[in-house]
Amino acid sequence: MAANCKQCIDLLVDYVDGVLDTDLRAKLDGHLHDCGACEEFLESYRATTTLCKKALAREMPESLANKLHSFLHEKVGDDPKPDKG
Amino acid sequence: MRLDPTHQSDDGSRPAMVTEGDDTLLLRAQKGDMGAFEQLVTRHQNRVFAMAARMLRSDDDAAEVVQEAFLAAYRHLPEFRGESAFGSWVYRITANFALMRLRKRKVTAVVEEPEEPQFNERGSLVDQVADWTPDAETQTLDAELRGAIDTATAALPEDYRQVFLLRDLEGMSYEEIAAVTQESVPAIKSRLHRARLALRAAIDRFYAERPS
Repeated sequence: MAANCKQCIDLLVDYVDGVLDTDLRAKLDGHLHDCGACEEFLESYRATTTLCKKALAREMPESLANKLHSFLHEKVGDDPKPDKG
Repeated sequence: MRLDPTHQSDDGSRPAMVTEGDDTLLLRAQKGDMGAFEQLVTRHQNRVFAMAARMLRSDDDAAEVVQEAFLAAYRHLPEFRGESAFGSWVYRITANFALMRLRKRKVTAVVEEPEEPQFNERGSLVDQVADWTPDAETQTLDAELRGAIDTATAALPEDYRQVFLLRDLEGMSYEEIAAVTQESVPAIKSRLHRARLALRAAIDRFYAERPS
């Protein structure tokens, strides 16, 4: 293997963004091909973002949303129109 | 001023089928149409609020930040030239307000070092990864997993959490994050990586310890 697991995992941000330079990408691809543990690690690294997006998504509570719209009405009502031209 | 952003047909008897895009609403809002601006607010308020609430760990603080952000957006509408999407612009404004509020708090929480993978002396991975990744795209999350992820996110050092939320949840570019956090892109990437490693470890642990 051209690189060890630690070196490969340190490169994962650029690897999943697709911006790793050609040589490093080839090394990492080679390592992933030969190392089942790192291949699984990469899958779980990618899946982490997917799961966190789902888990942390939320809606604004209705009471706070109503408050937001009331606030904007009150404040913007005192403002001139935004398009001054 | 239109209170209800729902589109109505001309006679008001049924909802219209056409949904205006953000660009159209923005043009109308820039001409002083508060109803159009309210539709933009309604369209983006959940994502903006979610980001602020996760950054500030307080719904009340997040609600105030969202108010400030949308008001600032309204007041700067004439200067917005549409180089980016309206949503991205509002997220950046909100992130700025949230970060300013965090800096004002000046509370240094005691946070554990995020968990990282374990390697042997030759740099080989010694962690065993539980088999939870194939379902990530399709699975519906249960309350326990949501709770585990929420707890793990809250336990991240604040600067790691900010970067993770702005990049992985909001999809902001590294350059945009650098502009709002005043940090370098390499520093942002390093924090993002460590945040992902810590959250990955937390999810892995959740599945490993979960009774089957």
